[in-house]
Amino acid sequence: MKVFIDPPNSLILYDLVERFGHEPLSTMGALREKVTTLEMDSPPLNITHEDVQKGLKYAGIEVPSGIRGRLAIFGPLVDEAEAAIIMDDPPYAFGCVGCQRTTLMLKYLIRKRDIPMIEVKYPTSEEEARVMVGKIKEFLEGLS
Amino acid sequence: MSDETETRLIVVAPDSEITPDHVARFIHALELPITVKETCYGAIVEGKKELVRKALQEVRKLDPNRICSKIRGFPMGDMRRCRAHHGSRPGFPQLEKEWETLPLIAEGLRSAEQGERIEEPERKEKLPVKELKKIVEEVS
Repeated sequence: MKVFIDPPNSLILYDLVERFGHEPLSTMGALREKVTTLEMDSPPLNITHEDVQKGLKYAGIEVPSGIRGRLAIFGPLVDEAEAAIIMDDPPYAFGCVGCQRTTLMLKYLIRKRDIPMIEVKYPTSEEEARVMVGKIKEFLEGLS
Repeated sequence: MSDETETRLIVVAPDSEITPDHVARFIHALELPITVKETCYGAIVEGKKELVRKALQEVRKLDPNRICSKIRGFPMGDMRRCRAHHGSRPGFPQLEKEWETLPLIAEGLRSAEQGERIEEPERKEKLPVKELKKIVEEVS
């Protein structure tokens, strides 16, 4: 099954989803297509006008462009997903390397899809890690 | 680049006895037609998807719970990302943080393998304002 992971670039979630036999939907997979397709109009990262329009499907025009741009990548992945795993409070999703508003919008989009989903907390101790991995394992094994 | 090509990060947990050098040499010894680059956190491999997956499967046997992996969007040595070409590396702080957390995940995987039932630990609640005021008054 195709499982969307949030944060969409998480090493931990990507590895766990693959380990338990499912296909993770991640930023890396979505970007790969963009950065390796030959595109003469918009080097170096091949962001085109269509991408900007795609973002509008998920967030209104008044939403900051950074959020809309991120959602142009993440939104189609959420649409494609058959299940989702959300990891709450990852320390790197805040500040200069993350975008809290995108995360909130993304959670809203996932919940709106009404697909099987699980929310876990980013582990800070061994006990929390045991709970997190146990829950994810149970969830992924339960997906048909 | 064809759709079948995959670039993958192989990340070794900091508490593993396996070193990035060991991982890179091990993959070279598999004699698969893939490219391997040793890094500070493990290795990057690039090649045909099925061969990269095969290499990952083999290398994971060295330390199953402490060797993790994810794909990478940009190809190996890409001018837009490679530090040798002064490229930026915006994903590194995130990777570094998750690398630090990998020993906890390894413990979680060990526990899940053994089928341990774990009670969810009680989360620390935020200090109510009344309590805080009481503490402040006591101190002052």
